Amino acid sequence: MQKLLSILWPSFLVAGIAEGLFFTLIDPQELYLLGEPVRLSRMATYSLGFLCFWAICAASSLVTWYLLRSAAEVNRRVGAVH
Amino acid sequence: MAATPPQQTESPAFAEQSLYEVQQKVYPRAVTGTFAQWRWSMAWLTQVLYYGLCWLPWNGRQAVLFDLAERKFYIFGLVFWPQDVIFLAVLLIISAYSLFLFTAVGGRLWCGYACPQTVYTEIFLWIERKIEGDRSARMKLDAAVMSRRKFFLRVAKHGAWGLLALWTGFTFVGYFTPIKTLWTSAWSFSLGPWEAFWIFFYGGFTYLFAGHLREQVCKHMCPYARFQGVMFDPDTLTVTYDVTRGEPRGARKKGIDYRAAGLGDCVDCSICVQVCPTGIDIRNGLQYECIGCAACIDGCDQVMEKMGYPKGLIRYSTERAIESHWGWKEIIAHVLRPRVLLYSAILWAIIIAFVWGLATRLPLRVDVIRDRAILAREVEGGLMENVYRLHVMNVSEAAHRYAVSVSGLPGIDMEGDHIVEVPPAVDKVFTIQVRVPPDNGKKGANVIYFDVKSLADERVAVHEKATFLLP
Ligand code: SF4
Ligand code: SF4
Repeated sequence: MQKLLSILWPSFLVAGIAEGLFFTLIDPQELYLLGEPVRLSRMATYSLGFLCFWAICAASSLVTWYLLRSAAEVNRRVGAVH
Repeated sequence: MAATPPQQTESPAFAEQSLYEVQQKVYPRAVTGTFAQWRWSMAWLTQVLYYGLCWLPWNGRQAVLFDLAERKFYIFGLVFWPQDVIFLAVLLIISAYSLFLFTAVGGRLWCGYACPQTVYTEIFLWIERKIEGDRSARMKLDAAVMSRRKFFLRVAKHGAWGLLALWTGFTFVGYFTPIKTLWTSAWSFSLGPWEAFWIFFYGGFTYLFAGHLREQVCKHMCPYARFQGVMFDPDTLTVTYDVTRGEPRGARKKGIDYRAAGLGDCVDCSICVQVCPTGIDIRNGLQYECIGCAACIDGCDQVMEKMGYPKGLIRYSTERAIESHWGWKEIIAHVLRPRVLLYSAILWAIIIAFVWGLATRLPLRVDVIRDRAILAREVEGGLMENVYRLHVMNVSEAAHRYAVSVSGLPGIDMEGDHIVEVPPAVDKVFTIQVRVPPDNGKKGANVIYFDVKSLADERVAVHEKATFLLP
């Protein structure tokens, strides 16, 4: 739970900032997805946009967490040293 | 999560992690007093604003509405467009700066009195207290086995929390889509999927944060709590325990000469710890967990009163004042230190610039885009034509008529509306064909100008550059 929160929470904050910046500067109706203009309502684009930002940021936090594990922990998982 | 094997304590990171996993639940005790009154007044003020403002009508629309679907922000008489993002940026700078200033002067005033996390926790705690009783009753109830009574109390509490949280989520979304439509569609079960999602999302977070996580949010999740320390200096007012007066602490009988018995003013009743929403002991000195809510001041003052000692064993004071036993006069004299004066001066400068910018904002905006699909072409009479899309944004709250003209090349003229009408707060697009005799400009791009002038007010005029292509 603690790990999950420490990944999801910072990414939530950063996603909020990214969402705000991105959509103040860019009108969702002017976006193209796979060569097609986005036809979703603005509300839907904002929402999906936020969830995507969140997912991307969470992926970054996940990698940070993964690389931060101590040597002892990695070794234990590998089963080489104990 | 799996149980922590013993060898994990070898890493300090793990030691710390498991520390706050097993953290004890805090059961804040109810407190009354001057600062509790202040806190409740602020809670009322902020929440009446929050729950009420979105229902206020203005000129036939919602007074405060951040209309995301239309990309327009309405704040009473003002309408903001994406082009006005600079105002939003400056507003954010002003907020951040005020936070700096308030923190330098009075510590975590924001956290203690105005932060939604504190306010909702306080409201949720109040509900909890009304249903389950005060601190000791709640501790007993938590420890008791499930019974009919406990079950009913739990259902009542979570039900009340849930309703309030849902209403909070609904209100939140009501600032981004017109709340009256939202209200009718909620009752006819025709909410848009995303509206419903965000209502439950925000409501769910309110329930989780104010009902369950509470002080954990301040301790582990809030970025401000982590860096507020850098804004403090020895002259910052914070909630402080007067060590020299209080120590050595100890229990005693009322009315004895405790000084002679070698005791300080603290009777070690632990009231200050019991009322603390973050569960810390302020007598250990300033800690980053302290949100500056001053509940411990109220709590301790009551004890002091009962004991017949002067109030203020715990009080708002500064590091330097406690050290050198200053009174209020010296403290106030030190509040106006260079740092505070500098912060205030900068803050005022930004606020004045902001208000000036708003006041002189032109209620008209024009954007010219040359139609790229149609290159320069020849039309009847041998004239060369370029086609433009003219965005006329009427940023005011009344319909306006504008005169449109072009200039910049000899013999230039336009086809299309010379007088255009734009309803209030609308961005209307007009197609304009501009014609020039072929030899009156150079090959390639020529600079031309569009002029849009309000018929009602001469000063409302925009002179906008565009390019005219000649083959
Ligand atoms: S409430 Fe006051 S007297 Fe009681 S323990 Fe705290 S500091 Fe001491
Ligand atoms: S120590 Fe006092 S001021 Fe700080 S959070 Fe606890 S009760 Fe509030």
